[in-house]
Amino acid sequence: MNCEVCQLKELEVEHFEIREVLRCILHTIVFHRALGLVRPKDIDLELFEITYVQCGDFEVEKKIDEKIEQFVSWVEKHPNKKSQICLSFYEVKSKQPSWFTNKIERLYWEQWYVNLNVTQHPKPHSGKSHHSKMVADPGESAYEERSVRRASLEASLHEVLFQIIKFVNEKKDHVPSISEGVIYFPYEITIPSSSDSAFGMDMIKRMLQTGHPTMLS
Amino acid sequence: MSSSNSNTHTEAAKMEQIIAEFFAKSLHIILESRSPAMSSRNYSADQAASSPSSSSSSSTSVRPRDKWFNLALRECPATLENPDIWRRMNLEPMVVDVILVQRPPDRDPANSSLKKDLFRNPYLKERYPFSWNSDQEELGYDAKTEKIIERWIVQCESRRLRDNGSGSRRSIGTLHTFYKKLILLLRSLYATVRLLPAHKIFRDLNSSGQIRTFTLTHRVSSFVEPFTRKEETEMQRFGFNPVDTSCGRLCLSVVYRSSLSDIRSESSTQMSPQFIPDYVGSPLADPLKRIPSLPLSHGSPSSLPFSRRHSWSYDLYKASPPSVSFSPSPTHSESHASISNPSSRRFPTMNLPPHPPEISSVHKKNMSYDEYCPSPNFTPSPSPSPPIYIPGRHLAKALLRSESAPVSIPTGKLSSSPVLSNKQNLPPSPPLKGTRSGNPRTDTSTGFVQTGASVEKLFSLGKDDTRKYSGMRIPSNSSPQISFSRSPSRSFPDDFDDPDFPCPFDVEDDDMTDPSSRPESFDQRGVLCDPLEPGGLFPVRNSQDAAVGALVRMLRKAPPLRQDISTSIDLSQVSRSKISSSSFQEHVQISETPAIQPASSSIASSGLVASKTTADALEELRGYKELMRDLLLSQADRSDTSANPTSFQKPATG
Repeated sequence: MNCEVCQLKELEVEHFEIREVLRCILHTIVFHRALGLVRPKDIDLELFEITYVQCGDFEVEKKIDEKIEQFVSWVEKHPNKKSQICLSFYEVKSKQPSWFTNKIERLYWEQWYVNLNVTQHPKPHSGKSHHSKMVADPGESAYEERSVRRASLEASLHEVLFQIIKFVNEKKDHVPSISEGVIYFPYEITIPSSSDSAFGMDMIKRMLQTGHPTMLS
Repeated sequence: MSSSNSNTHTEAAKMEQIIAEFFAKSLHIILESRSPAMSSRNYSADQAASSPSSSSSSSTSVRPRDKWFNLALRECPATLENPDIWRRMNLEPMVVDVILVQRPPDRDPANSSLKKDLFRNPYLKERYPFSWNSDQEELGYDAKTEKIIERWIVQCESRRLRDNGSGSRRSIGTLHTFYKKLILLLRSLYATVRLLPAHKIFRDLNSSGQIRTFTLTHRVSSFVEPFTRKEETEMQRFGFNPVDTSCGRLCLSVVYRSSLSDIRSESSTQMSPQFIPDYVGSPLADPLKRIPSLPLSHGSPSSLPFSRRHSWSYDLYKASPPSVSFSPSPTHSESHASISNPSSRRFPTMNLPPHPPEISSVHKKNMSYDEYCPSPNFTPSPSPSPPIYIPGRHLAKALLRSESAPVSIPTGKLSSSPVLSNKQNLPPSPPLKGTRSGNPRTDTSTGFVQTGASVEKLFSLGKDDTRKYSGMRIPSNSSPQISFSRSPSRSFPDDFDDPDFPCPFDVEDDDMTDPSSRPESFDQRGVLCDPLEPGGLFPVRNSQDAAVGALVRMLRKAPPLRQDISTSIDLSQVSRSKISSSSFQEHVQISETPAIQPASSSIASSGLVASKTTADALEELRGYKELMRDLLLSQADRSDTSANPTSFQKPATG
């Protein structure tokens, strides 16, 4: 079975928007992969006029929030960098024991890449205090600029959410069958903080795993 | 092979069931986030009836239908009230039109509730004979503009897979896969519904209970009414990928109006404040809120504690029929209500503190009473009295209008005005039942809301009182209304603004109500009645001054009558009472002579005009005179000697 990959459109966000944007995207994805019995929860974003859906599972919420916090702290250490968050779904396979692998193996069947470009400039506090930067910029136009930017981010975020929905719609065959009592497929969220090599390892692992036993039947 | 045939057969049956459930589920998903009237909060009884098993389980437990596609949805009466038509006819397309209805801003408030009801089941039967709820067509839709903002089409295209080769079908695997795909499809439908522009309207409608000039409705039918070309240009389409089934392709698509922002902004600005009273008052607007909010909806924080107290006192009142024995004149109570209540409402906190304990306690009673007395004035009064004139107060108008409002509150009395009901809790509770006995008190309640209202109420009460207390009738007045006959031109309203001013009247009013009902009130009354009591004497400086000013002005306006003033019978009493503003109450309680009434009533009635005889006017004038004189004297007295003013005046009376 192949692993489907979805590269989401890059979003240019400010630091304070990271959390909402990521939450919105990650939860939307997980909701589409929570095929067990869920009681969905509507969440209205605060910064944008967007409503997204959570699958209503506390663990999911916690995990996503944790990862987002990690990511935020990573961004603080690595400003002005484009960054990527990867949400991967996998199946757990107990492999026939061999001499060098674990007994348990993750078979990745889907990966979502959230691409963020965290911009530095319009940070609310720094922008105004450093007039060296903003000399020519009266507050008025800065404000306008910001609201325009906000609107465009909202539109882009909207687009990304539709991208997710379209992807889910178009690619259904690779999704493993639903096992009883499991609410969502196991997933992991990878953020750049865990050195780049981890990403590479994931890729290698994924490439090594060939075929998806259950789905072919 | 027979076995395989039967297997196929059951599988086909399952497939059909799944498809039917898919139709139902997708309809549910759509309506759940498009029909504001059906939001789970507002929804209660009907659903319980239709699905008893789920009635007790609101959000936590899993209903059988939730298990379909592993998607537990909120209750949505819209889907329940529709027959599961697609269980029967799988291959019919299901067309769900989401319609934006914009109402003209000045629609008739009386109709609003009905319309609202309609919105709940908004299928236009006549236009769409094939749609389900065709029978609901009634009220004119002409005034509203309807715009289809979304059209969802769910259908099973009957291109059969079977034809392609049933032999290749992977039986069980297919069914599972098929089901899984539908789950995925519904997940994305669920998310999509929330991303489309119409959902913002839905959010607006659900947020904060604001009244909008627009609403959403929907129409479910089995055929597509084509859009106009212009409409088409405004619409965008989003198609979900079809899912192949053994009996066709299951398709789900939506055509939606991409820009709705203009509608939202425009209609929200159209809002005019005048809607609010009607809207709030209508139980239909938010049926559930009505009851739970009762304990909380106090006009002022200070009144909150009183309400409880009041409630029990009220019960007492009910238990013991009002005794006429101690009846003060109804006019007093009325006047008091009109004056004191408005001010108390305006200055709830300020009002109470300055009073001595006794007075304040009485005052409390009044206020608490207000809490649950709905406006009695609207209750059809048994008394034969002519229609009450209502002063030009805006509130009074509102009240009148509200009379016709479709508020379904158990007690007839309560049904009166949405405004009142809104502010004052109108519990459908027993206290209201005591219709007749309740009347005297109720008048205070109206006063609480507004001067005008209070006056109006007073009149009605007056009638009642006259009946009850006819024995105690004041000779001078043929009818209690006379006391209110003060000309509207009087400057009193201004004076009333003074928080302290009304206090004495409050007491007075309380007294009136007390005698009939509660034992404890008697005690208090006794305390209050005593003029020498600190409470009774308690002078409110500001109010007094204001009263004096008002009196002066009144006197100026009626110069010819002056001569008679000195001869007034009430003089003695008035003078005694004059000492302090609180004295009015005393008069009522202690001396039940009619003479007092004119004076007090005159002050009390602010802007009321009622029919009165010249004799009454004369009497009132006398009263005023006396009052003014006394006030002046008392003030002078006070300034000279801070000692007990009563001593000074007593001689005069004697």
